[in-house]
Amino acid sequence: MQDSSSASMMTGVHSDLSTESATALAVRPRSVDASVRVIRPATFSLSTVVLGLRTLLHYSDLLYTLSMFRLNVRYKQSALGWAWAALQPLALMGIYTFIFAHVTTVKTGGIPYPIFVFSALLPWIFFATAITNSVQGLIAYPNLLTKMYFPREIIPFSYLAAGVIDFLIASVILAFLMVHYRISLTWNVLYGIPILMILAAFAAAMALLFSAVHVRFRDVGLAMPFVLQVWMFATPVVYSLEAVPQRFRFFYLLDPAAGAIDNFRRAVIYGKPPNITEMAWAAAIATVSLAAAYAYFKSSEAIMADII
Amino acid sequence: MIDLKLDRVSKKYRIRQRDPSPRRWYRGAFSQSVAEVWAVNDVSFEVQQGEVLGIVGHNGAGKTTILKLLSSITTPTRGEMTIRGRLAALIEVSSGFHPELTGRENVYLHGAMLGMRRSEITRKMDSIVEFSGVEKYIDVPVKRYSSGMYVRLGFSVAAHLDPDIVLLDEVLAVGDVAFQAKCLDRIAELRKSGRTIVFVSHDLASVYRICDRAILLDRGRVLLDGEPRSVIDQYQKRTFADSSATMTAEMDSQQPARCVNISFQTPESSDSIRTGYPMIARLGYRATQRILDPVFRISLYWPSGYLCAQLTSESSAVPLLLEPGVGVVEFQCPVLPVVPGLYRVDIAIETRGRPLDEQQRCATLFVHAGRPAAGDFYIENACSIRTEAPRFG
Repeated sequence: MQDSSSASMMTGVHSDLSTESATALAVRPRSVDASVRVIRPATFSLSTVVLGLRTLLHYSDLLYTLSMFRLNVRYKQSALGWAWAALQPLALMGIYTFIFAHVTTVKTGGIPYPIFVFSALLPWIFFATAITNSVQGLIAYPNLLTKMYFPREIIPFSYLAAGVIDFLIASVILAFLMVHYRISLTWNVLYGIPILMILAAFAAAMALLFSAVHVRFRDVGLAMPFVLQVWMFATPVVYSLEAVPQRFRFFYLLDPAAGAIDNFRRAVIYGKPPNITEMAWAAAIATVSLAAAYAYFKSSEAIMADII
Repeated sequence: MIDLKLDRVSKKYRIRQRDPSPRRWYRGAFSQSVAEVWAVNDVSFEVQQGEVLGIVGHNGAGKTTILKLLSSITTPTRGEMTIRGRLAALIEVSSGFHPELTGRENVYLHGAMLGMRRSEITRKMDSIVEFSGVEKYIDVPVKRYSSGMYVRLGFSVAAHLDPDIVLLDEVLAVGDVAFQAKCLDRIAELRKSGRTIVFVSHDLASVYRICDRAILLDRGRVLLDGEPRSVIDQYQKRTFADSSATMTAEMDSQQPARCVNISFQTPESSDSIRTGYPMIARLGYRATQRILDPVFRISLYWPSGYLCAQLTSESSAVPLLLEPGVGVVEFQCPVLPVVPGLYRVDIAIETRGRPLDEQQRCATLFVHAGRPAAGDFYIENACSIRTEAPRFG
């Protein structure tokens, strides 16, 4: 793999029938220290996970190529193109502002409602879109699963990576809104980075879990829009966690998405450091669920080609 | 050194069947009847480094499943496989393509899916494009490509993979004759440089030409493992019962006549067909109307795709007339002049220059060694030696 094509060109073997372009092809002498792999029936075990991660590393270029491809293809033949990344949160911001600032009112602690809701919609949309796309994306091209091999988790991960780019584009709008509403930026905004990493880890876990189940039971895809709708209202997006009565708070701690999104808004808009207890809980649950979801995904990967 | 080793590998598929009656509505989703199929059953074999192994067998014999197991697309139910070196599988050469992307973008995407690094693809891009022969359209979305261009670009990427072990599934079934020859050349190059190749094909002539060894699979089991010639011979005997083939009998009402089967035999039907010995070719037909001056042709092709010889009813002095119904045309060859090997067979019926039926590669003919012959043909001859007595005086 590492030798240059010019060097191996000289060692290229020409068969008596070879055409012009065939001679241009280089044949490298085969590697001597070839690695040995043993394939056994799939099991749900730690070694599956370790081997899976090692293979994933080998295919890191595919993850990059596929993520770029998601972004490229998504906006092909669309007039507005990249503006769509910002349009969706803006539209939602508009309707929620109408409902929760004009029809009824939500306590925001002195922050204008549009930016209050926008700053939570951004991470929520990232979270929800990554899951929806992964669930649909894994089964979108059955040929990829039945005719080729590459680590299947690259498909959900590529949607996640593309979601990060969409998030960054929409963040520019957030910055404009902050300037417009004269909200001062503090160093606490940097807490947003680890918070988003926790959210991304949890999104990855949910994407792996739901997309793997979806290959077998298409019920997942049918239930997803409704589940995410309920989940959004169970998450402090249109309201703040502080407005939730104390006796319900415990349930919010169990959902890393809720903790991450509320604390993201706290750090970016309110300029306060995040609640450490909440974040520690969120990080722990997200990590454990990611590890479990990855192990589950890898063990069901073995039969995806058979049951898709 | 052993590159591939399968040790008692089995693969079970569950085939779900939906109950078509309305009962399924109240019996629920989990009550589907499940049939178990062992696509690969207790298969063991080894492939040496640098060896070219051909796998032959009927559809559903488990050929592709073995390649899918080796390439990790699916995992075995039982057994163990050992693989030494970098492996590349070409199950379907252009399945990683996305129609909206250009040829160049697809080369990156497809290459990455096959496990290539971006830098590696960039370095080989010119060569890939040149090999595929689609230079002019490389920056056009592939949805505008013809199916041939699609496949050529796909194979071209794969041909640059540089693996230690290559798995090929029916890749030669696509593309035109020139591109097929190019692919065979590439396979020959890989072979000469010590790559291990596992080759699945229905094209027995290619298996015969390329492979060092062949395996015959039948319903998931290894039936034979050995020299390609004997394996192919056995396979044909089982399939066609002395290299005869039955064609699909479906014909539309427009078609006046059609070949329904073909067989090659010897006068003593137990004997195998040999160079320099008699052969009888029988072509079964079905006619729906009266046909004047019909001409029947059986063409034999070399594995390379060139026409080797042809049997035609034109040479018969009797003018033929076909009545509607079924019948057999028999060609008697007192001496078979073709040298030992495997030939592809095309058949055709025409009348006064108008083709009625043409079927390509519908059968194969395996000729065994008979009378000694070298070159392309056996020349029938009567050789005698006359010693002229020296004259003195």
